[in-house]
Amino acid sequence: MIHLPFKIRARRLCQIAICLIPIVATAKADAQEDTAANPLAIVVHKDTAVDDLSMNDLRSIFLADQQFWPDRTRIILLVRAPQSDERDFVLNRIYQMSEAQFRQYWIAKMFRAEVPRGPKIVFSTDMTLDLVIAIPGSISFIRADDVTDEVKVVRVDGALPADADYPLK
Amino acid sequence: MASSALHSQPQFNVIGFADINYISADSNDADGFAIGQAVAHLSASLDDSLSFFGEFTATAKDSEYAVEVERLIVKYDFSDRFKLSAGRYHTPVGYWNSAFHHGAWLQTTASRPEMVKFGSKLLPIHFVGVLLEGSLPSGDLGLEYKAGFGNGRHSNIARAGDAGDLNGDKAWILQVLSKPRWSRGLNLGIGFYNDEIEVPESPSVKESTLSAHAAWSNDSPEIIFEYLHSKHELTTDSSTSGDVDAWYAQFAYRLPGKNRAWKPYARFERTRVDDTDPLLGAEALDYDGGILGMRWDFNPYATLKAEYRNEEFDNGGRENNFRVQLAIVLTSL
Repeated sequence: MIHLPFKIRARRLCQIAICLIPIVATAKADAQEDTAANPLAIVVHKDTAVDDLSMNDLRSIFLADQQFWPDRTRIILLVRAPQSDERDFVLNRIYQMSEAQFRQYWIAKMFRAEVPRGPKIVFSTDMTLDLVIAIPGSISFIRADDVTDEVKVVRVDGALPADADYPLK
Repeated sequence: MASSALHSQPQFNVIGFADINYISADSNDADGFAIGQAVAHLSASLDDSLSFFGEFTATAKDSEYAVEVERLIVKYDFSDRFKLSAGRYHTPVGYWNSAFHHGAWLQTTASRPEMVKFGSKLLPIHFVGVLLEGSLPSGDLGLEYKAGFGNGRHSNIARAGDAGDLNGDKAWILQVLSKPRWSRGLNLGIGFYNDEIEVPESPSVKESTLSAHAAWSNDSPEIIFEYLHSKHELTTDSSTSGDVDAWYAQFAYRLPGKNRAWKPYARFERTRVDDTDPLLGAEALDYDGGILGMRWDFNPYATLKAEYRNEEFDNGGRENNFRVQLAIVLTSL
């Protein structure tokens, strides 16, 4: 193995980092544009007797402060795994937490015996759709363009993803 | 696939906590390292409504480990309004005792406030019985209630009546909380606890406790204030009575930006017990204390805390105490 002098290694690291800056910046800008052009839809199992949720209701459900639908069906929350734009957006806009705060919140919630488990983790849009279709009481979020007829999109503060005043853009 | 089909077999979650401490104190000749508690928390969802929670600890003693079932709860959720459970709880009096339990990683500080420390005689830390809890129709006020009925304290008043109540008078608890939906992390509460305690070689003592708290558990800032007032009187002679007043206020603030791993904190505490108190008057529980500390979350699952404490027990002169704590959580979350 060739051991390069420290100065050369440091210079190469800086060059790599400088090369990566526009890539990272572009990816981040793309994600923000994605959410504006293709907002997140809140989707529930088709039999769920709810059509409209306020942002406060949505926050209560995602925080598991509300654990049952009005018909007393248990709410099953599906959340994307880390490293997805959808999860980052939901943590930022609905939970208003960082990843670390999100983790601590659920550990504390389970430890206080308020919930027996954390949210179910899903790894792709297809997996999200499959489980929302299959599980009564489930709720999750996907890009509006990925919505199918087999799930129900709920209004948030009276608006659908295509509306100008939709709060999850 | 129905949601119940997802739970055709119980789903288990295990969370582990552990802490290792270095303690140096004016009054302690045995300065040095101390293993805190090893904690295992097990929860299981048995079906859509039925769940199980268990918390088990191993605590280092002088020459052995004390193993304890801290909490063991079987819970049935009828709805958000009604959740009925039975088992052994941390008594829902005040805030800390219900919020942090035995995992040192969860709490900002290295140590619990004196008034709710494990083994405290001020508060019945544990409660064995049944608990009904849920939300109240209150819109964005986010009102919740907890109502409990069960065994009172053991004759060793630092312990719960695990194997039954020593007299026919069961303890009861009522707590009302507000978690306003317009302010995430805000928690306001008021609670009552009532019991009759059998004391060896003495008439039994009636205990009535009022607690109140206001907590804002956001990281920046975190503010917790908790107050407790208890009255103890002999059942045979109500003129023999005494009061307990205890409070603490804790402030913490997670630093912004690239310093987010750091969270400085401070806490001030005070406890006063009347000498005439028939239950606690002879226990020398008066206390004044203050702590200053820093928490460093150097890893998502591990934290290092350094804490300086200046305190005075029962007007016995001020003491200094310094503690460093490494606390971890083991979880797949």
